[in-house]
Amino acid sequence: MEAITITLNGVEVSGHPGMTILELARESGVDIPTLCYDPHLIPIGACRICLVEDERSGRLSASCVTPIEPGMVINTKSPKVMERRKMILKLILASHPDTCLVCDKGNRCELRKIASDMEVGLIELVKIPQLATIEEVNPFIERDLSKCILCAKCIRADHELVVQGAIEYINRGFTSKPATLNDEPLEKSECTFCGTCVAICPTGALMETKRPYSGTTAAIVSTICPFCGCGCNIDLEVKDNQIVRARPGKGSTVNRGTLCVKGSYGFDFTRSAERLTSPLVKVNGDFQVVSWEEALGLVASEFKRIKENYGSGSLALLSSSKCTNEENYLLQRFARSILGTNNIDNGSRLYSAANIIGLGSPVGFPGTTNHLDALEQSDVILVTEVNLTSAAPIVEYAVKRAVKYKGAKLLLIDPLQTGLSSFAHLWLRPKIGTDIAFINGMARVIVTEGLLDEEFVTRKTDNFEALSSELERYTPEYVEQVTGVPSDDMRHAAQLFAGATTASIVYGAGITQHVTGTNCVMALANLAMLTGNIGRRGGIYALQRDCNGQGACDMGTIPNLLPGYQSVEDTESIKKFADCWGTSLSADVGLTAVEMIEHAKDGKVMSMYIMGENPVLSFPNSTLVKEVLESLDFLVVQDMFLTETAKLANVVLPAASFAEKEGTFTNFEGRVQRVRKVVEPLGDSLPDSEIVLRLANSMGCPMPYSSLQQVMDEIRDLVPLYQGIGYGSTETKGERRDELDRDPFRNRRLYKGQFPSGFGRFSPVQYEPPVEIPGDEYNFTLLVGSILHHSGTGSKTSRSPRLSEFSPEAYVEIGPSDAEQIGIGQGDEVKVISPLGEVTTVVRFTTTLPDGVIVMPNSFSSTPVNQLFDIVLDPLSKTPALKACAVKLERI
Amino acid sequence: MDFDELAKVGSMMGSGGMIVMDEDDCMVDVARYFLTFLTEESCGKCIPCREGIRQMLTILNRICEGEGKEGDIVMLEELSEVVQDASLCALGTTAPNPVLSTIRYFKDEYEAHIRESRCPAGVCKALVSYYINPEQCQACQICLRECPVGAIMGGKNIVHVIDQDKCTKCGTCLDVCPIRFAAVEKLSGRPVPAAPPQGTKVRRVKKAQQ
Ligand code: SF4
Ligand code: SF4
Ligand code: SF4
Ligand code: FES
Repeated sequence: MEAITITLNGVEVSGHPGMTILELARESGVDIPTLCYDPHLIPIGACRICLVEDERSGRLSASCVTPIEPGMVINTKSPKVMERRKMILKLILASHPDTCLVCDKGNRCELRKIASDMEVGLIELVKIPQLATIEEVNPFIERDLSKCILCAKCIRADHELVVQGAIEYINRGFTSKPATLNDEPLEKSECTFCGTCVAICPTGALMETKRPYSGTTAAIVSTICPFCGCGCNIDLEVKDNQIVRARPGKGSTVNRGTLCVKGSYGFDFTRSAERLTSPLVKVNGDFQVVSWEEALGLVASEFKRIKENYGSGSLALLSSSKCTNEENYLLQRFARSILGTNNIDNGSRLYSAANIIGLGSPVGFPGTTNHLDALEQSDVILVTEVNLTSAAPIVEYAVKRAVKYKGAKLLLIDPLQTGLSSFAHLWLRPKIGTDIAFINGMARVIVTEGLLDEEFVTRKTDNFEALSSELERYTPEYVEQVTGVPSDDMRHAAQLFAGATTASIVYGAGITQHVTGTNCVMALANLAMLTGNIGRRGGIYALQRDCNGQGACDMGTIPNLLPGYQSVEDTESIKKFADCWGTSLSADVGLTAVEMIEHAKDGKVMSMYIMGENPVLSFPNSTLVKEVLESLDFLVVQDMFLTETAKLANVVLPAASFAEKEGTFTNFEGRVQRVRKVVEPLGDSLPDSEIVLRLANSMGCPMPYSSLQQVMDEIRDLVPLYQGIGYGSTETKGERRDELDRDPFRNRRLYKGQFPSGFGRFSPVQYEPPVEIPGDEYNFTLLVGSILHHSGTGSKTSRSPRLSEFSPEAYVEIGPSDAEQIGIGQGDEVKVISPLGEVTTVVRFTTTLPDGVIVMPNSFSSTPVNQLFDIVLDPLSKTPALKACAVKLERI
Repeated sequence: MDFDELAKVGSMMGSGGMIVMDEDDCMVDVARYFLTFLTEESCGKCIPCREGIRQMLTILNRICEGEGKEGDIVMLEELSEVVQDASLCALGTTAPNPVLSTIRYFKDEYEAHIRESRCPAGVCKALVSYYINPEQCQACQICLRECPVGAIMGGKNIVHVIDQDKCTKCGTCLDVCPIRFAAVEKLSGRPVPAAPPQGTKVRRVKKAQQ
C-alpha cells in the first residue's frame, strides 16, 4: 500500500489509504474537536463539528468521515472553519437546557468542554428547548433527553459494540430521539444496563441514576474489574478517597469501550457498611475486635502448635481466584516453605480445574490458546454449554460482533436458550450431560469424511490412530440416540466446523462442572486439533468465572503444581524453588479444595486458612461443609466481609478490596494486567499480600520482600510463562502505560503457532451416561448457573446496592407445561428438594426450557442451591459436580 | 431558463424549481413557507441542517410576527452559510436557498417588516389591520353579519367599527364590503386611526349627488 501524503496546517504528513483526515490529524498531534466520533464506532458525520477546510477549493468537509486523498491541503483552523464550528456549537447550545451548573456530567461534558475551548459563551440564537421526561425507575441509568444532541453514539454503541439492540432512533427530523422499542422505560426493554452508552454519551443525557458518592472527579485510576474472568479494564473516578464511578478503560483491547452491568455499577461493595474493618477473634462464641498483632500472634502460634502436634499435612489452605497473582504466589510460598504443606488450592477448582488436565495434557498449556481478537476474526465459532450473557459478557459481545458484522457463523450447542440463540446459524440442543458423545460424533464425521487438516495432524500432533479407533463407536445413529440431536444436524455441524478456514471453540462451567468435565475438555481439544484450529489460527477459549482464576492457577495455588504448572513431583522443579526460598520443600501432592473438607471430616486436616473464598456457599453439600469447618481445631478466614464461612472462623482477618491494592490479575486469555490502588483500605483492613507477609513475620519466618515489585520479579524468574513481565511503566501525556500492556502475551507460545511441548497429543475420551438423571421421585433435572447481575456466591454483588436492588433474590425457572403438571403457578413459593437438602424459592415461567429441566441461579446466600448437591468429584480434576442434579418440586 | 441559469440568478428554491410570483406575495412569508416544508423533510441526522433550519424558521416566524430585530437579516445569512457549508446532504446544503435569494433580491421587504412593522404585500397577518373608514361606511351590515368572530360592532345607520382585539385578520370584511362603498381598508406599517364615538350616524351619500 502506497502512503498518501497531504498537507496539514502547512506541514506534510502521510497516512495509509482509507485513513480519515481526523485519524491522520490525531496521529500527527493535531487536535480537531469531535462530538459524534468515537474510535470504537463507525463514523457517521452527524455533528459536523470536526469540519476542516481544503484550501484548494475552499470546501469544508467533516474530517471524521473524509478519507485522505493525495495532494489535499487541509487547514483545521481557518477563519471559515472556526466561524462555522462556532455557529454549529451555538446551534447545539440553542436547543440545550441551561442546566450546566447543576448537571452531574460537569467537567466531563464534551459539549461544555468544546464550548469553552472555542470561547462560545452567551449565544444570540433563540432558545428552542427540547422537551423530555425522565421516567426511569431502574437503579442504573437515567435518561434526560432534553440534553441529547442526537449524536447517535449511544445507539451505535448499543448496536456496534455490545450488539444488544435495546435502543434505536424513533421518529424523524426534529422529533427524533434515541429510544427503546415502543419508547418504554429501559427496564422494560432488552437493555442489560451494561453502561456502555452512558460512558460514551458526550453530554448529560445519559447518566447514572444512583451514585455511591457524588462529587467532581479528582483523579482517574485505571485498574481491572474484580468480577468475571474477562479482565475488563476499568477507569475508576475518585474523589475524597471514594469511588465516584467506573468507566470502560481507555484504549483497552480487551473490552473496547464496553463493560457489563457488574463492571459499570458493581464496585460499590467496596464501601459497603458490612466491610470488616478490624481483625476479629472468637472468644466463647462471640467475635471480639483485636489488634493486628494480637490476631496474627494467635494465628501464628496456633499454626505452629498444630504443625508440631499433628504434622504439616494437618494444615490446609484455600487461596482465592479473586486475589492477585502476587497474593496467590505469596500464599503458596507461605504454605509450602513455612507451613511445609502442598495442601493448597484455589477457588477455581470449583469450576475450571478441568482445564488443568483437560487442556494441559493434549495442548500443553492449561488455558485459552488465543486472544479475544482472534475469536472475533473466526469464520465459525462453536459455543458449548455456556450462557455468555452472564458468564463472560465481553466474550458474548465479541461473538455477536463476529456474527453480525464479520459474517461469522455461530454453532451453538446448548440445551438451554441463551442470549446467543438468535444469533446462531445452527443451535443444537443435546440432552444434558451428553456433550462428549456429541463432540466425539462430530470428530468422527470429520475423520470419516476426510475433513480433517491432514498436514496439521501429521506434522503437529501425535496419537491420532488411537483417537480414530476410539471414535469408531460414535456413529451418527448412536450419537443421535444418546443426545437426541438429529444425526443430519450433527453432521452438518461437523462439516461446518471443519470447513471453516478459522474455527474457534468457547466453553465454560457448563462443560467443566460436570463429573466428566476433564474428558469433555479433551474431546473439544481433539476437535480443535483435528481441524488445525489451535496454535496458529482459531483456538480454544476456556472461560474463567473469577477475575484471577487463570492467574491463581498460574501462580501454583494448586496442590500438585508449583507456580507455572511445574510439578511438585519433579525433583528439578522442587529444587529450583527450594533453592530460591532457601528451604526444603515437600514433594507430596497435597489436597484439592473439596478433598480438604473430606479429610477434615476424617480428622486428618485439623486447621484451615481460607483467603477470599466462601466454601459454605460455594462447595457442594453446604450442610456438611459447615459442620466440618465448625469442627476444625482452628480456622482462619481472611475476607472483606463476615461471610457464611467467616462466621465459623476462630480468627477473621479483614482484607482490602481490589480497589485498595496493587498487583496483577491474569484474565482468561492469559493477559497479565495491572491492578492499581484507587483508594485507601477501609478501616484497618489490609491487602491480602500484606497480611500474608505479616503473618510470615509473626511465624518467625519473614519472607524477603520489601515491595510487590520484588514478588513479581521472583515470579518472572521462576515462572517461564511470566518471563519478562514487570511493573515498569512509562508515563506519556499523563497516561500511564505499563510494559504489560504492550505485549501481555509474550510468553504464550501457542499464540505463536507452537505447542509448548512441540506436539499436540490426541486424548481419546469416552462418553459415560450422566449420573444426575432424574428418576421417579426426583423427577426434574436442576441446572444451576450464574446470572448477569451477580458473581460467585454473591458476597460482593449482594453488597453492591444497585445490583442487589435490581436483582434481589433467587428464583426457579420452569416451563409452564411442567409447572401445570405439578400444579404450580408463576410467582408461587416452592421447595426444591434433592436427596440431600432443600431450598425455598419462587417460580418464574420460562417458555424455552426443555421438558423436565428447571434452572436456578447460584449467587444468593438466602437460597444456597449448592446444599442440594452431594459431593461427587470429577476423578481427574477433582472438581465437584455442581451443574446438574435431580430434584423434585413441592408447593408450599 | 435552465438549472444553471436559475442558480446563477440565485433564485433557486429547493432544488431547481422556479416559482413565479407577483407583488401580492410576501417574500419573507415565501421563505418561511419553504422552510416549514423543509423542517418536515429534514431527516434530523446532522446538526447544521436540523438545528440551522429550525433556527432560521424561528427567526422568519418572528419577522412575520412583527417581532423582527435589527441583526436578524445578518443572522439569517450567517445561519444560511453554515447550513450550506456544513450539512451532510443536499437537502441541507440547498435548504437556505429560499432565504438567501429572497434576502438578495427583496431585502427591502425584510427591512420593511423589521423596521416599519410593515408587510408590503399585506400578507403577514400580524402586520396588517383592518379598518372601516367612517366616512365611507353605509351601515349595510353585511360585514357585521359575515365576520366569523363577531368582531364588528354597529347597527342600523350606525357606523361600523372593528374591535381590533377580537379581530383575527381573516379579511372577510374586506371581501364582502360592497365595491361601491369600499369602506374597509387594509393597513400595514401604520397605526389604526381612532374609532369614531359610539353611535355615530352614517353619512348618507345622496343618490342625486352621485
Ligand atoms: S443520548 Fe447521548 S449519546 Fe445518545 S444520541 Fe443523545 S447525546 Fe448522543
Ligand atoms: S446500557 Fe448497554 S444494553 Fe442498555 S441501551 Fe445502553 S448500550 Fe444498550
Ligand atoms: S464482570 Fe466481566 S464482563 Fe463485566 S465488566 Fe467485569 S470483567 Fe468485564
Ligand atoms: S465528529 Fe465528525 S461529524 Fe461529528
